[in-house]
Amino acid sequence: MNEQLVTCAALTKRYGNKTALDRVDLELGRGKIVGLLGPNGSGKTTLIKILCGLLQPTEGTVLIDGQGVGPYTKSILSYLPDRMYFADWMKATDLFDLFHDFYADFDKVKAVNMCASLGVTPSDRIKTMSKGTKEKVQLVLVMARKAQLYLLDEPIAGVDPAARDFILGTILTNYNEDGTVLISTHLISDIEKVLDEAIFLKQGHITLHDTVDNIREREGKSVDALFREVFRAPNYEGGAF
Amino acid sequence: MFGKLLKYDFRAMWKQFAFIWPAALVLAVVNRFTLDGLGSSSSVGETTAGVAMLVYVAILIAMFIIAVIFTIQRFYTGLLGDEGYLMHTLPVKPWQLVASKLLCAVAATAVNVAVAILSMLLILPWDSGDLREVFQVLQYLCSHWSMESAQVIIAMLEFILFMLVSFAVGYLHVYLAMALGHLFNKNRVAMSVVAFIALQVVVSILGNMILPPINELISPLVHNFQGLEGFHAAMWFGIAIELAASAVYFAGTNYILHHRLNLE
Amino acid sequence: MDWTFTEDRPIWQQLTEQITLRILKGTYLPGDKLPAVRELAAQAGVNPNTMQRALAQLEADGLAVGGRTAGRTVTEDRSIIQSARETRARAAVRACLELLAELGYSREDALAFMNMKEELHDE
Repeated sequence: MNEQLVTCAALTKRYGNKTALDRVDLELGRGKIVGLLGPNGSGKTTLIKILCGLLQPTEGTVLIDGQGVGPYTKSILSYLPDRMYFADWMKATDLFDLFHDFYADFDKVKAVNMCASLGVTPSDRIKTMSKGTKEKVQLVLVMARKAQLYLLDEPIAGVDPAARDFILGTILTNYNEDGTVLISTHLISDIEKVLDEAIFLKQGHITLHDTVDNIREREGKSVDALFREVFRAPNYEGGAF
Repeated sequence: MFGKLLKYDFRAMWKQFAFIWPAALVLAVVNRFTLDGLGSSSSVGETTAGVAMLVYVAILIAMFIIAVIFTIQRFYTGLLGDEGYLMHTLPVKPWQLVASKLLCAVAATAVNVAVAILSMLLILPWDSGDLREVFQVLQYLCSHWSMESAQVIIAMLEFILFMLVSFAVGYLHVYLAMALGHLFNKNRVAMSVVAFIALQVVVSILGNMILPPINELISPLVHNFQGLEGFHAAMWFGIAIELAASAVYFAGTNYILHHRLNLE
Repeated sequence: MDWTFTEDRPIWQQLTEQITLRILKGTYLPGDKLPAVRELAAQAGVNPNTMQRALAQLEADGLAVGGRTAGRTVTEDRSIIQSARETRARAAVRACLELLAELGYSREDALAFMNMKEELHDE
């Protein structure tokens, strides 16, 4: 086992002449819940996609558990994308079979139990499910794994506050405690109290990476309040009314 | 892991074809009987025969159209669309994803051909005499087993292999076109079509440049062979050319999926 | 029983205070087994590591005993609980006096004010 779970060095991603990530250095330890915080377009999704192998960095290196991104890192990584990835013909049970086949750490019994507690019928066809139910199925798939690294891309965006608590509760009660959870979001007040660490991502740069306790102690304010300060819209402070 | 990928691709394929393959065979059997009505004077019989034949032919055509759509759609939505978020985060290599889709597409097309041939055989008005003759031919082949009959079998297998590789080249051409279209940020479908046509042009130009000199080199050799040997040589030459083309297409597609993947 | 957090201080400190308060109030009695870290964390909707830190502080304060494996129990040493209660009470009085001082009461007036139990009841 490597000391750090994730190590990014000088990670850069450019799309044409637009730079999404600019020489990002990042280390993530084990057994932590980390918030990847930034407004839309700050590079959160790009970073997550690079970690899970959906994007190749333009420059720089990524190591996960000491290995470059590939089948091994994918096998210890559980990823919740910001969209649905189901094939229409499948049932939730088909997906359980698929995950069971491909991921040694997938716990089918746990998945079935989670479905029961979330009120999802796994034998229904995905096509017939509501958007909320599909999201639950995807959350079940991701959290029923005993992964080393969970990458959750905007898991609570666009859902009502009750569902938010519910999703966070599901994550908190199901993640592998030896593993690390990276949650990207711009809704900080909702998740601040579940975080160990916060990372502020601003226009492709990490401007802050510290424990939530340290931030609160040092700043005397919540991470949410600090975030609002740091990411305040520029025209807001212009004051030229 | 590759075996598991194949399992899911073949399962998806089965969902597509589970209805149409049996339907083609059943309709062939129906035609076997309604065709008798053609000779009879009754117009009812003729109409029935006409309709049955029409449906049968429509199903055969549909079967091949579905195969093409299936191939395109499995690759495009499966690897370059939203489903790609699932497929590309599985603990497998990108080439395995492509190879699994390709094998599945080639298999679907091969089964299509097999079903088409089988259904045509079913339509023919076999009687017990015909069957006996077929049996006798088989018996003759077995009892007079020789190098020649082995050669015939091998030649047939070579032809089948050649056909399979040809399907593969065709599909890989489409895959590479879609992968090239994926390199663009907008209008990916349109750019895939453009890439398809552009690839087609490149291939024919290359073909015109490369094939004649090779042909000149090879043809005297082929003509020097006796009997089926010429056919063998031609087949293997064809297979080699197609395999080379496949390798180029495959490598290109794989490179793009590995290094240039950018799902929306 | 709700868990509420203010914005200005680390959450683990607030958790320690709130669990301490529960012990002082008798929600958890001396010798009672405290819920497991994960369960408490889920109740409060916080990260298990944060709850772990809060409980470690509770242990350092002597209010909770027992390690990670056995699970923690509330101390049976009532003198520790009593002294924690007094500490808390002193802090409350101090805070009250500070507020009254800001409102312009001298210490004597403030204490006299606190003695006017009847009037307080009227409000």
